[in-house]
Amino acid sequence: MVHVEIAAERLFQLGPLIFTNSMLGALLASLLLLVAARFFAPGPALVPTRAQGIVELPIEWLAGIVRVTGGKRWREFVALVVVIFLFVLVANWLSLLPGIGTVGFYEEVGGKRVLVPFVRAAAADLNMTLGLAIVSFVSFIAFGIRANGLRGYLRETLVAEPAYMTPLLTPIHVISELSRLVSLSMRLFGNVFAGEVLLATMLSLTTAAIFTLPLAFFVPGIFLGLELLFGLVQALVFALLSMTYITLAIAEDRQHEPADNHHTGETPAPTTADPAHGAA
Amino acid sequence: MGTEGREPDETGSPPKGPADPANWGIAFDLGIRLGVSVILGLGLGLLVDSWLHTSPIFLLIGMVLGIAAAMYTIWDVASGSMRR
Repeated sequence: MVHVEIAAERLFQLGPLIFTNSMLGALLASLLLLVAARFFAPGPALVPTRAQGIVELPIEWLAGIVRVTGGKRWREFVALVVVIFLFVLVANWLSLLPGIGTVGFYEEVGGKRVLVPFVRAAAADLNMTLGLAIVSFVSFIAFGIRANGLRGYLRETLVAEPAYMTPLLTPIHVISELSRLVSLSMRLFGNVFAGEVLLATMLSLTTAAIFTLPLAFFVPGIFLGLELLFGLVQALVFALLSMTYITLAIAEDRQHEPADNHHTGETPAPTTADPAHGAA
Repeated sequence: MGTEGREPDETGSPPKGPADPANWGIAFDLGIRLGVSVILGLGLGLLVDSWLHTSPIFLLIGMVLGIAAAMYTIWDVASGSMRR
């Protein structure tokens, strides 16, 4: 029988800090990225080796997308977008390795013995995805403030045009802004958690009876392949949305005064004015 | 992805069209944000109602604001997409 636990399970506790199996998954993904960075960053060869080429391929590909779609200031946030993409991608793909989510210890829960895996997919925990969404949310607010100044950003966010519409439009604008945070976190969590449940269910169904056992050799494999694709798509969507939000927040300064040319020394491009609010 | 070799034009605008990878994120985002906006409005209304014991006044206000926020989100995303 498939046991589905929506919250990450506790492994141990150090004082007030509860260490969960999804935190271990996130830690492993981070360590893998750090080792790769340590191994390839100090002296990249002029003619890249095959391994270096494999590591650099997703970075160059995404950096190319950011360069083309991120506006003139793409260099300021390309590292953030690439890091978000790589972290979510590695965390998602790591959870598909054998032993992740299946090797653990048994615990009594409500009179039943349930398996508590040592490592759980990092993004199958809402705490992790919400944390990552908060990083993205704070980043695009910070870029918006940097581009428009604090007063300009607050005016964009809290004051409507015409001003007498402010009491009506400001709550609408605030709800719309908050929906970005919820949408970013819930989408990633929902997709990865559903994938985990789907894989467990397929494995459980195909191993339930002796005559379905041959199916266990290829049916879960099909879904593992799909999860590889979904892991890539979700990482890409999270990173691209973060980039889009930051690009829009930075682009706001083009609508008003040439506020921050001192940041880049570039002339802002003329754009169509936003009649009610400038979306940050 | 077909983005190699394509440079932003002199205004910093990206190439337009469905091949623009940033549009994929927007497409994934829009549907969820519509629902989330309404739920957020309802949730905030419920919270205020339970705090002030005024049920269901703020629930209804929150619902209307949530629906308005959902429509605003469509307009915001579309205008932002055109601006980019």
